[in-house]
Amino acid sequence: MTVLVGLEAVVLVLLCLLVAGLLRSHATILRRLHELDAGLDAEVAPRRGGASRAPRPQIPAPGGRRATAPAHDVVGVGLDEEAVAVRVVGAPTDTLLVFLSSGCSTCGAYWEALGDPRLALPGDARLLVIVRDVNEEHPALVQELAPAGVQVLHATTAWNDYEVPGSPYVVLVDGEAGRLRGEGTAATLEQVLSMLGRASDDGAHRARLDARRGDKAAADATREATVDDELLAAGVRPGDPSLYRPVDEEVGG
Amino acid sequence: MRLAGHGLAIDLPARWEGTIGRRPADPGAAEAAVGPRRIAAALAEEQLLPVAHLGTFALPADRGDFGSGAVDLMGADDVFLALVEYGPECAGSALFARRERLPQLERGQFGAARLQRVQKGQAGAQVFCTVGERAFCIYAVLGAAGRVARLAPEVNAVLAATEVEPR
Repeated sequence: MTVLVGLEAVVLVLLCLLVAGLLRSHATILRRLHELDAGLDAEVAPRRGGASRAPRPQIPAPGGRRATAPAHDVVGVGLDEEAVAVRVVGAPTDTLLVFLSSGCSTCGAYWEALGDPRLALPGDARLLVIVRDVNEEHPALVQELAPAGVQVLHATTAWNDYEVPGSPYVVLVDGEAGRLRGEGTAATLEQVLSMLGRASDDGAHRARLDARRGDKAAADATREATVDDELLAAGVRPGDPSLYRPVDEEVGG
Repeated sequence: MRLAGHGLAIDLPARWEGTIGRRPADPGAAEAAVGPRRIAAALAEEQLLPVAHLGTFALPADRGDFGSGAVDLMGADDVFLALVEYGPECAGSALFARRERLPQLERGQFGAARLQRVQKGQAGAQVFCTVGERAFCIYAVLGAAGRVARLAPEVNAVLAATEVEPR
């Protein structure tokens, strides 16, 4: 009897160990699946307010920059060796800067997407693809990859100005404000654009709320001034005892 | 923002952007030999001549030397400026008079009849000169002829800010 009870106890312990192992394995699989689907890089996520939830970032984001960091104009060299200066700060439209290279595997999908005429850019943003300088790139390969009608510039300075951590990387600039609207990276350009679109929507929503708050504050100030004027016109000055009379006394006459 | 290349350097005022590229000295021959995006790579240096396009609006990728494809996109407050260099045989000729610097444009030089490509409401001006033994055509387009008093000074500010490296 004692032997049987002992055997049962051993089997029970083994079963418990098996269940614990299975649960741990299950948790690992779930975590991996989550990362593959829409995993969030802890370094990227909290960085930029509305634009922070980048789907599966490939590269670490530049640290310490705020969502409204100042933008920079872009000066570089075009595919036909022309000198190019593009006005980004103060431009009447937003500019979408897509930082790519000819060698990175993820960039392939971006180059392809940029050539798709159905590609929808946020708002009426101007598109600008930026690769590194000619001496750091393969100009012939860039020439082959560049879709017709898309402006491509060799401009390492822009990579430095925008603290681009690697490619692919996308930055959306608010032209009139001269500040960044959002930035990030993902497996596909469409994912990034979706993310930036949400960030833009969030930004617009915040601007509307701020405007409403401003309207309310202005209305309060106007109302206060009107009441003050009416009281002064009636001879009621600051500190007048009638201002501190209990309401029921006033009603009672 | 400073734009420099191919012997030209321009400190662009606010609002302006631009490119300094090169065009084939013989466009017909180049068109037969190469595609439009590989001109610089396919032709020898002596077969290429600089051309600068400057504007207060987003310049499209495909433009003619005198702004076709770009001037169609201008607003009433916009300005387009082209500096088109000609071959050394033109330098100092009667049409391309020698100057110390690129000349300023007078308001009276602008008119609809001076447009290379007529667009309703726009005004153009075209002058020729030689600076540093390099022959140039300066071609400017204003988005609205009625705003010449305000827009012509913008053109002149860019011309004044342009340095030509002598040949």
